[in-house]
Amino acid sequence: MAAFETRTVAMPTIRKLARGSGVGAIAGVVAMLVAFTLIDFSGWWTIQTLSNVMHFASILALLAMGQALVIISKEIDLSVGSVYGLSGVTFISMQADLGVGGAMIAALIVATLCGLVQALAVVKGGLPSMIVTLGGLFAFRGIIYVWTGGSVRGFPEEARMHWLTRMFGGELFGIEAAFFWMLLVLAVLSLVLWATPFGNRLLATGGDAESAATRGVRTDRVKMGAFVMCSILAGCAGIVTLADQPQTHVTLGELLELESIAAAVIGGCLLSGGRGSLVGAVIGAFIVVSFRYELIALGAPSSWFITFVGIVLIIAVVFNQWLARWAGHNV
Amino acid sequence: MSSNHPLIRVTNLDLYFGVFHALKSVSVDFHAGEFVGLVGDNGAGKTTLIRVLCGIYAPSNGEVHFDGKRVTNFHPKLAIDQGIETIQQAVGLCDNLSIARNFYLGREPVKRILGIPFLDFNKMRDKSTRVIRTFGLRDNVSADDEVEQLSGGERQTVKIGRAVEFKNRVLIMDEPTNHLSVREREHVNELAIQLKEQGLLVIYITHDISQVHKLADRIVIMENGEKIEDTQADAMSLEELEAVIRHGGRTVEKDHMH
Ligand SMILES: Nc1ncnc2c1ncn2[C@@H]1O[C@H](COP(=O)(O)OP(=O)(O)OP(=O)(O)O)[C@@H](O)[C@H]1O
Ligand SMILES: [Mg+2]
Repeated sequence: MAAFETRTVAMPTIRKLARGSGVGAIAGVVAMLVAFTLIDFSGWWTIQTLSNVMHFASILALLAMGQALVIISKEIDLSVGSVYGLSGVTFISMQADLGVGGAMIAALIVATLCGLVQALAVVKGGLPSMIVTLGGLFAFRGIIYVWTGGSVRGFPEEARMHWLTRMFGGELFGIEAAFFWMLLVLAVLSLVLWATPFGNRLLATGGDAESAATRGVRTDRVKMGAFVMCSILAGCAGIVTLADQPQTHVTLGELLELESIAAAVIGGCLLSGGRGSLVGAVIGAFIVVSFRYELIALGAPSSWFITFVGIVLIIAVVFNQWLARWAGHNV
Repeated sequence: MSSNHPLIRVTNLDLYFGVFHALKSVSVDFHAGEFVGLVGDNGAGKTTLIRVLCGIYAPSNGEVHFDGKRVTNFHPKLAIDQGIETIQQAVGLCDNLSIARNFYLGREPVKRILGIPFLDFNKMRDKSTRVIRTFGLRDNVSADDEVEQLSGGERQTVKIGRAVEFKNRVLIMDEPTNHLSVREREHVNELAIQLKEQGLLVIYITHDISQVHKLADRIVIMENGEKIEDTQADAMSLEELEAVIRHGGRTVEKDHMH
């Protein structure tokens, strides 16, 4: 009798709150900001640092939201850094021939194709996404090297001043434009995930693909949708990055796949699929980028950053697993 | 009881899992308005057979006709669209989703805002709440609860309620009374009979031989991937039925020959 009632009636409110994904990330960000404030008096709370953090966190957040969708579908995408790089390089390189608008479209087409090819290999070829997208990571990076011969041009002055360039790069009301684009994408994707049939089927596919399939869900198409959206978001992130700083080189986006996975996982996406949060992924991106700038502010060599991301990632996985179990999820 | 042309006709169906021959040249007809009991030992191939009928597995060989038309593409979505609703044995609910979301999974009701389909949460919640109450789930289970939190019987109840709610032409029940209390079992069995009387084809898999002997019009027995018996229920006594399942078809057929 009592056992029945504990479930909905007596489950403590705080536990119920913790059932929502992304709560861990919020706890993490509070802890981080408190720590930064305590250990650092000069570097962190400055306009310059905050505006950089906002800009780069927004870009990483675009990637992390795509990664979150893929992880929610119980797959992984290791290629996003290379897709980001290839789209960005396409955007810069095609501008001379196609103009800014044409180059943007070309970059998005390239990103879409990258996502589609990999998605087909995963769902139709039945291959593990870890392997397919690891292949993508190398292959797309290789294309950048071959195509550009090792060096990438920048934008000429008139392309820098083009309204599209300024709309995606630059600032709006004194805040980095990337931030507004990221918020827009967050709002749209959150609606898609939680309030549309596609979102319901994505959550179902990640949670239990076999059961979802017995209800008539085309789990292969759902997963393809997640991969393609992830690649397109990586492409968008590349465009936004280069619209702000229209020059780059062939290493653009290296290691971003790891940062995006870290952000999504810190944000509460469980690699077991079916659970995650886009708000969490955005907060996760904010945490990852903040660490980079905090380390810079502390004067630590920049190579420490990767180590830190690794440590934060492991802490986040352990913490989020514990949180999920504590809240009563079977993970 | 049955019209002359079968609603589902299975002919010489073979199915392999890798090298394992799970269904061996199975032929069987199912008619609208018929209650067919499908019985046999663990691992006999009952679930595998109905999983072909509801589109999960495509046969390696052989044909399936639905309503006179040859089925060429096998996918649960197509079977559901044709009116085949299934209560699966071990799967069918996603733990990470609420009852309401599971209820409508794959056929979500939408409200269009600016042409974009948004989930109609009110409808999902109201209708699934009504159904789970009809099927006897207590008030402390809400349609917003994740399935993960439910007991085995509560899950089974959600699956049955959902299948009955969306019933159409065929209802396949794979050990539907598992996890259920005596009272709930009776309720489900009564429902199955009612649906048959409404003209549905009901295919009912169970290990409860005496129960199915009472309920079914026809009984199909499987063993090692083969159909070994297909008989009107009243043409065979319960004892004979148990003997066939225990000893396999051939021994009993020998007995008949004496
Ligand atoms: N996906 C699969 N891959 C490989 N073998 C399978 C698969 N599904 C079923 N089998 C095998 O096929 C045989 C028939 O299984 P099936 O589930 O149809 O039996 P069943 O008659 O439903 O038994 P039970 O009464 O225990 O539910 C079993 O030997 C099983 O191990
Ligand atoms: Mg079975």
